Amino acid sequence: MNENNKYPKSSIFRPLRHIKYIFKKPVTHPLETIFTKKNADYLKGVKVMKSSKAKISNPRTAPDNLRGFHINDWEKCIGCGTCGEICPTAAITMVERHDLPKVAGKLQQRPVIDYGRCCFCGLCVDTCTTESLKMTKEYIYADSNPDSFQLMPTETWQDQEVEQAYVKNEDTDLLDLERVEMEHIEGSERINSYIEVVRGYSKEYARLEAARCVECGVCTASCPVQMHIPMYIKTIWEDDIEGGLRQIYETNPLPGVCGRVCTHNCETACAIAVRGEAIAIRWLKRYIIDSAPDDMYKKIFTEPVSEVIDAKVAIAGSGPSSLSAAYYLRGLGYKVDVFEEKSRAGGVASFGAPQYRIPDYAVEKDINFIKSIGVNIHTNTKIGSDITFEDLEKKYDAVFLGTGFFKGRVLNIPGADHPDIMGAMDFLPLTRDFARGTLKLEDMNVKPSVVVVGGGDVAFDVARNCIRIQLQKYGKANVLLTSLETLDILPGSDDEYIEGKEEGIKFRLGYGPQEVVVEDGKIKGLKVWKCTRVFDEEGRFNPSFDQSQEEIFEAEQVFFSVGQAPDYSYIPESLKDKVKIERGKIKADEAGKVEGLDWLYVGGDIFRGPDIITAVSDGHRAAVAIDDYLYNKAKKKEQSEYFKEVREAIRFNNPEPALKPKRKRTLI
Amino acid sequence: MNSMNNIERVKEIVEKVAKVRKFEQIDKFQIAFEIEKNDVHQTLSALKLAGWKQLSYLSAIDWIETSKFELVYVLFNWDEALYIQIRAMIEREAAEMNSIISIFPGAKYYEREAHEFFGINFPGNPDYHKQLILENWDDIPPLRKDFDPSVYSDRKFPKREYSVDYSVKDPENKSFEKIKEREKRALSLRTGGQKK
Amino acid sequence: MKEMKLFLGPQHPGMHGNASVHMFVDGDIIKRSYLLPGMLYRGFEKQMERKLWVNNIALIPRVCVPEPDINEMAFASGAEKLLKLEIPERAHWIRMIILEFARISAHLMAYGGLGGPTGNYTLMYHAHADRNNILDIFEKITGARVYHQYIVIGGVRQDLPKGIEKDMHTFLDSLESRLKEYRDLGIDNASIIKRIKDTIMLPAEVVWELGVTGIGMRSAVNKAYDIRKVAPYARYDQVEFEVPVSDYSDARSRLDIKIKEVQQSINIIRQCLEKMPEGPVRVKPARGQSMRWTVPKGHVYSMVESSRGEFGYYMVSNGGTHPYRVGVRGASYPQGLLGIEKYLPGTRIDDAALWVDTMGICSPEIDR
Repeated sequence: MNENNKYPKSSIFRPLRHIKYIFKKPVTHPLETIFTKKNADYLKGVKVMKSSKAKISNPRTAPDNLRGFHINDWEKCIGCGTCGEICPTAAITMVERHDLPKVAGKLQQRPVIDYGRCCFCGLCVDTCTTESLKMTKEYIYADSNPDSFQLMPTETWQDQEVEQAYVKNEDTDLLDLERVEMEHIEGSERINSYIEVVRGYSKEYARLEAARCVECGVCTASCPVQMHIPMYIKTIWEDDIEGGLRQIYETNPLPGVCGRVCTHNCETACAIAVRGEAIAIRWLKRYIIDSAPDDMYKKIFTEPVSEVIDAKVAIAGSGPSSLSAAYYLRGLGYKVDVFEEKSRAGGVASFGAPQYRIPDYAVEKDINFIKSIGVNIHTNTKIGSDITFEDLEKKYDAVFLGTGFFKGRVLNIPGADHPDIMGAMDFLPLTRDFARGTLKLEDMNVKPSVVVVGGGDVAFDVARNCIRIQLQKYGKANVLLTSLETLDILPGSDDEYIEGKEEGIKFRLGYGPQEVVVEDGKIKGLKVWKCTRVFDEEGRFNPSFDQSQEEIFEAEQVFFSVGQAPDYSYIPESLKDKVKIERGKIKADEAGKVEGLDWLYVGGDIFRGPDIITAVSDGHRAAVAIDDYLYNKAKKKEQSEYFKEVREAIRFNNPEPALKPKRKRTLI
Repeated sequence: MNSMNNIERVKEIVEKVAKVRKFEQIDKFQIAFEIEKNDVHQTLSALKLAGWKQLSYLSAIDWIETSKFELVYVLFNWDEALYIQIRAMIEREAAEMNSIISIFPGAKYYEREAHEFFGINFPGNPDYHKQLILENWDDIPPLRKDFDPSVYSDRKFPKREYSVDYSVKDPENKSFEKIKEREKRALSLRTGGQKK
Repeated sequence: MKEMKLFLGPQHPGMHGNASVHMFVDGDIIKRSYLLPGMLYRGFEKQMERKLWVNNIALIPRVCVPEPDINEMAFASGAEKLLKLEIPERAHWIRMIILEFARISAHLMAYGGLGGPTGNYTLMYHAHADRNNILDIFEKITGARVYHQYIVIGGVRQDLPKGIEKDMHTFLDSLESRLKEYRDLGIDNASIIKRIKDTIMLPAEVVWELGVTGIGMRSAVNKAYDIRKVAPYARYDQVEFEVPVSDYSDARSRLDIKIKEVQQSINIIRQCLEKMPEGPVRVKPARGQSMRWTVPKGHVYSMVESSRGEFGYYMVSNGGTHPYRVGVRGASYPQGLLGIEKYLPGTRIDDAALWVDTMGICSPEIDR
């Protein structure tokens, strides 16, 4: 036996030592300190309980980060359901609350927690996208009815304001709020050429970015075509490019274009964007398209798409809405002919957006697939001269118009009729041709110093194109961009502003042009007044100026990017009175069917505007409407099961009008 | 105590008696050997002689895709602080492995547990087939990957329905039904079709 | 005489947790015995395979009720080994504080548990009252009293709250001053000594045969076989502490070591509070949101010294978001199953409960 095991000698006096313990204070929590008022009240009603002490309620306050019962701030909660997804005990279910308003970035559902299952781990709080779900210091709840343990957290606990305890902080946050950095070509380098600015994600980076998505799907309702956004992001994460490609083509036939120049309302609505940087949804889509080899496109449709319906549809224009309509009509089984006046198809993707944003090969990749399923695209065919509108009406069963806004507008101010003044849409197609090499540098009429009027993305396109051309022509650039709107309400996107600034655009925002100063037939500058307000109290466009703050921005040339206009000269006299045009747009029903003309449909800028993805949705809706109109009338061949499935999917995916998310500015 | 020499020594011991398919150093205090099934007993004996007197853990892993069970023996030497994992693959069909209780008597109950949860037979262990933890078990051994506990519990126990309903529904509003339908369609487009 | 079958547990003041010892007795002497586990079986290993790496933290502490933190530590450090993840320095020290508090609380519970089989309930009340104070400290640090879910992959869930050091010191001082009291009430109490002296022996050969670890092993082989010393994890190599040992393992010597270990844990916590650096406490195991965190392929056996001995998790990842297999090696597995079968026979019925108690058997670990 070693000394560890020595034990004291026994003695008759030893027990006396223990007397001192009589006077020691016991270390326990008295019953009253764990009693809520509700429990005490309950006991008061129980006759067996005689002791009044048991009815005292004086609950102790729990510590500051106790994981007690939940509260949920409904104002902040977006119903994303991530709490329910992560819950290890499946205690959280989302219930539909159609009494909540249907707005972008929110789902009409709220969590309900089953406290019979909840284990108070707090992971729901850690993963909450909005920080709306919190835990409180309340930890006592008793009831004899099991149903009463199913509770819906609101701002209060049991209708009482309670202290919050366990909340999310930087350490406990389980979401990744920072976007994976996208590689850009440096500003000083990219202005020397038309090389694409955004390099695109590598596989590794795309997967890291895709891993941030919580699959809540609040984004889809804000997408005009309601793409399967969380699904295709997941395919990236799972490295299933083929599946992702099929999912994308289900709802968007121009993914290469949209992966580059979409207005990405989905990102504005993204649940992660509530507190952090939105998932780079647009670039992830582009990643799928960029990494899909050409032969993978054959797997989008497992059977060749053929004409099974004996009806022909003519499509005027080959912009996004037209190509979309053509794709879906073809998928539905029609013979489709597209007529384009220019030398290449693509419309705004080929002639509007600049080459450094969307290079030709990307547009061609999208268009080649549409061609490969059997859409005939006739380029260099202008409706009105090469083929008459009456011909279309006669030879085809239905006609879709997607001719777009391809005329530049110039402000009606003194001096604006000078030949060196150009509207954006007259200038941008030339730059695309210049970038392709079909136009020479000397053909480009760009002076050494330029003012661009306008604050939208198109104005930035003009300005950034001017910088590239000036550098090649004169070796240095001098571009000033001015707009009515100051930075806080600038309609152009944040990316454009940041990149434009990097490339050397000078900004004078918040001025209204009054006159183009012309001396000796040469432009000297642009006279502006300070703009004091752009929108009136009712939110209408109604600018007012402060004449005393007059300035002249010196320049040899002025570009106007103040909107675009349609060209309806191809519409024949016979139809002119039937087609109603309001503010430059053709009046039609929801699906684009022109009022009074069963066979005529419209889409894109001339119908709804304002962006590419909305045009794609117009094309889809019109295709389904045309199918409604023609399907029963036309003769049909026998259809395979697969073909029926494709038709059903196209009709099922017919997009609903998108919810418009509120724009968040990050620049200010 | 723990140096590279020590690991080299273990390697020598193991390589002498077994064909090492894979050697792995997990960290300063842990190494792993993948060996053939038939070499396990000799290896364990040799290591026990060399000082690895404690069997810390014995269990199995179900590699259902390759139709194999992987047996794991974790040994520890208290004087030279080094954990050794000995791993060996056995066939999943009619899985059998000779008991090691002659080397490590403490393995008796680990083997019984492995039999109960994976269905591996351990001839040489007198009690391996006896029921240990699962009373009146009437399904396949539960730690096999093809056993689905939620299906089992749905079969065995009634589902509790709550009568409280917090939803506020508008019969016109079918947005969630639509979302579900769309999700189903999108899932079916993935490579390999519908899986979650 | 006729052999009779008796049950110790699952409802018995001397039984720890819901397991039952089946004893075949002849007179007072146990002739045959075995443990019947399974009453607490919850299918943890299967459940862990079906839960994400991140939300397993809600499940693992429940493997062992009196000392949940060792599970969290074993799971988190195992995953970190697979991830080859370096966690922040401060997190190591906070983990040690939590683990040592857990050890004290488990020791107090087990020591107080001596009150059950010996009828000395005062001891149990005192021990539980002090344990309650530890739970108060845990509640302040982690937000929960019993299942803390605090040690996570990548560090600890959040930093220590402000002012907690003062609470800890107050508690440690008071506990240290009461250790004498615990000895008086328990192992130095003349009436209890009679029950625990020279009984329930655990010879060194039996230790090696069964694979007993922890206090049982150290009390028999007289060597500092403690994972914290021989293969230090966290920052146990940077604190000074002794491992109490003995070469004569009767019930009293094991309980004596328990009380001495409480003193050592108090010393460790004090050193941690002193040496703990400032800084971050958590790193994320991977980029992206937690439901898409993955752990690289591999096998790892991750072990911790619990109050009852070596506690290990055997973890296998196939590179996915869920563990492929998690095996739990409970510290009481060898003595609880094979020990009861082989070495409980021969003792008297009234010693059976003490046997289970002082060998450190925790049935939730056996059942999982």
